Amino acid sequence: MLKDITLGQYFPGNSILHRLDPRVKIVLTVLYIVALFLAKSMLSFVFILCVTVLLVLLSRINLRVILKGMKPILFIMVFTMILNLFFTRGEGEPLVHVAFVRIYREGITTAVYMLVRIVCLLAGTSILLTYTTSPITLTDGIEQLLAPLSVLHVPVHEFAMMMTIALRFIPTLIEETDKIMSAQKARGADFTSGSLLHRVRALIPILIPLFVSAFRRADELAIAMECRCYRGGAGRTRMNRLHMHIRDYGALVCMVLFGAGIVVLNIYTSRIGYGL
Amino acid sequence: MSTKLEVKNVSYEYSPNTPFAASALTDVSCAFEAGMITGLIGHTGSGKSTLVQMLNGLLRPVSGQILLDGRDIWENPKQLSRVRYRVGLVFQYPEYQLFEETVSADIAYGPKNMGLDGAEIDARVREAAEFVGLEADLLDKSPFELSGGQKRRVAIAGILAMRPEVLVLDEPAAGLDPIGRETIFDAVRAYQQAREATVIIVSHSMEDMAKYAERLVVMSESRVILAGTPDEIFRRADLLCSIGLDVPQITRTMMRLSELGLPCRTDIFTIEAAKEEILRLWGKERENA
Amino acid sequence: MTDPYLQIENLSFSYPAQGEGEAAPVLHGLNLQIERGSFVAVLGRNGSGKSTLAKLLGMILTPTSGKIRMGGKEITDPALTEDELFALRAGVGMVFQNPDNQLVATIVEEDIAFGPENLGLAPEQIRARVDSALDTVGMRAYAKHAPHQLSGGQKQRIAIAGVIAMRPECILFDESTAMLDPTGRAEVMQTVLALNKEGITEIFITHNMNEAVLADRVLVMDEGRIVLDGTPKEVFAQADTLRGCGLGVPQVTELFEVLRQQGLPVGEPVISEEEGAERLYALLNQ
Repeated sequence: MLKDITLGQYFPGNSILHRLDPRVKIVLTVLYIVALFLAKSMLSFVFILCVTVLLVLLSRINLRVILKGMKPILFIMVFTMILNLFFTRGEGEPLVHVAFVRIYREGITTAVYMLVRIVCLLAGTSILLTYTTSPITLTDGIEQLLAPLSVLHVPVHEFAMMMTIALRFIPTLIEETDKIMSAQKARGADFTSGSLLHRVRALIPILIPLFVSAFRRADELAIAMECRCYRGGAGRTRMNRLHMHIRDYGALVCMVLFGAGIVVLNIYTSRIGYGL
Repeated sequence: MSTKLEVKNVSYEYSPNTPFAASALTDVSCAFEAGMITGLIGHTGSGKSTLVQMLNGLLRPVSGQILLDGRDIWENPKQLSRVRYRVGLVFQYPEYQLFEETVSADIAYGPKNMGLDGAEIDARVREAAEFVGLEADLLDKSPFELSGGQKRRVAIAGILAMRPEVLVLDEPAAGLDPIGRETIFDAVRAYQQAREATVIIVSHSMEDMAKYAERLVVMSESRVILAGTPDEIFRRADLLCSIGLDVPQITRTMMRLSELGLPCRTDIFTIEAAKEEILRLWGKERENA
Repeated sequence: MTDPYLQIENLSFSYPAQGEGEAAPVLHGLNLQIERGSFVAVLGRNGSGKSTLAKLLGMILTPTSGKIRMGGKEITDPALTEDELFALRAGVGMVFQNPDNQLVATIVEEDIAFGPENLGLAPEQIRARVDSALDTVGMRAYAKHAPHQLSGGQKQRIAIAGVIAMRPECILFDESTAMLDPTGRAEVMQTVLALNKEGITEIFITHNMNEAVLADRVLVMDEGRIVLDGTPKEVFAQADTLRGCGLGVPQVTELFEVLRQQGLPVGEPVISEEEGAERLYALLNQ
């Protein structure tokens, strides 16, 4: 069922990661991604894995939950691995050579590196951001990070409000989709068999009611917001203002060190000749 | 009296093997008699909405069986769509599922999926519209132009047009005003009588159930805790109160009267019955005086 | 001693004509006064004009003609500036029917803060108001929950908390219990009664007579007019008029009516089961 999707979901908690400033977490995530793509050697990948495991431990989120969240993209992972495995040409003799299939040592290492990269990318970003940051705090973080742009007439507040409302209504609309699907199934709708065209057409009885309902909700919500004196970002204050703490500065320093560590490991391994 | 639909030792769990796992039904057994209106009552979260989705195979029991005319509906999963035509299910707030350009096209959606021919579909659409009291001139309108109560009736007609042997309705009158409620229940009763259908109505309105149901099944915390005729069930008004159900005001009045020390019946759930009882007591009082 | 909070003079409203159709009149020259601090239920079937009245009072619609004064200020004055309207809105809270479609934020306390934030209050002040609003509706334990994890009744209480955090003088409930189960209804009604005790004027729109019974005053609307107006007892004594408006009466009221028809000296109409039982006891135990 649609409800079982956990990727992108927030798990309330009180770990150090939960308590970090969302702005810092966004910056950390960007740094973390950059670091991931800087990694070029065995040692730096090992280092990344260790740091990612450390993040998992710090977040106090069950490892199984994190792995389960990756299930939807399992296919992409396997696909990327296979591509790298078969299409990486290396120097020297291939390890396997059957008909036109050639697998080189480099193919295997690239495939493994790719896998580590994707797994760490997902685990790291979801732990740093979505799993440990409530969507609303995340939106606040984005809004305040981008606030300087509003001088250039970039509608930062409107964008953040749209995000908030989208986040608020995603669970509601997922539940509603489930319900409409069941209701149309009860009238004999079949979404799983027939040609592609047939299946696309079978979606109409779901999409139309869903859109109608989304518009009705939007309409009612707009009225409710107006009744609660909403009139855009001007003159609006916030209950929770973001404050940087020592832990936030500490986290930034750690992440910079992490990036530097990877660069150092890259250089070190290339010196001793254990590169790619 | 024969059993049309039987639920045998059914259990169900939501999101199994996740941190959100929750038991929705625990070893539930109950039987729905052919040609009768059975009320399924229980407060929100008692499992009644889950049970309802089992009856036409939308959810599959983790264990146990659903027997339609004595045969397990999961015997041949490929035939499930046939089961869904035979057991028509009207969801809560069904008006939110309308999607076609005209009312008649929307009502025809189910019959079309059944593979019926045009003339037959037309006849069924007209018949269903009549059951729910939709005027003929509404049939060519867009369902989105109608009032809330009319939309609800269109949605119910969409199920009736499949001519189900068993009609299941989840809170069919939720959110409607007294007249709207009555129209819906009258339509259901008209269909039941015309087609000798078995009807199951989920509701938390005991007043409506007292008025329309011939049998009652009471659920609480994922289990069936009582089943029987309304007389038998309302005799346990204290139990119904204790599981958070709202017994009719008239029943509560009689219970209070008995608490005050007057020896009177408390298994009363219609105004007619209360009147009889008070008149009987009044007659006795007169005799003594 | 009267202290009218709301004064309505000759209020009419028509929805604009669509296509070739005529403008459909919804309200016909309504006149009404409501006392400060009272709890008034407005009963009526669908299409009786009761929701339109709520939307006019909530400044969502503007009347075709007539005047509305609230708390001494005329809210229908076309010369009102945007800022004046904004200030008036803060004084009148609205709670709608669908609990899902009025919560904005993904965390309960953030949602309650939404109104005060719009008013531009200081963060500490908002925090204090949010906490006290949570206490008033008894939802302190759910401050950090997401709305979709709550039951219908709980969501509706959060919506009410969001409104009271703006410290309004008056709250309008537009069929706020119609989509709830009996437990949810009871929760909301309890909150509504508690707020009235704190001095908030409440206008409660419903088609459920068991809820209307709890009000100080009941107005029955039909076809855009006020048909009955009085205390719950006075109104529910008019069973035939109510039925003519597509409404019913509480079961115990109906029982007394049939008993009276049978010639029993049951006396005045009753509306609560408690009173009904006591009166029957007295009657049968002379």
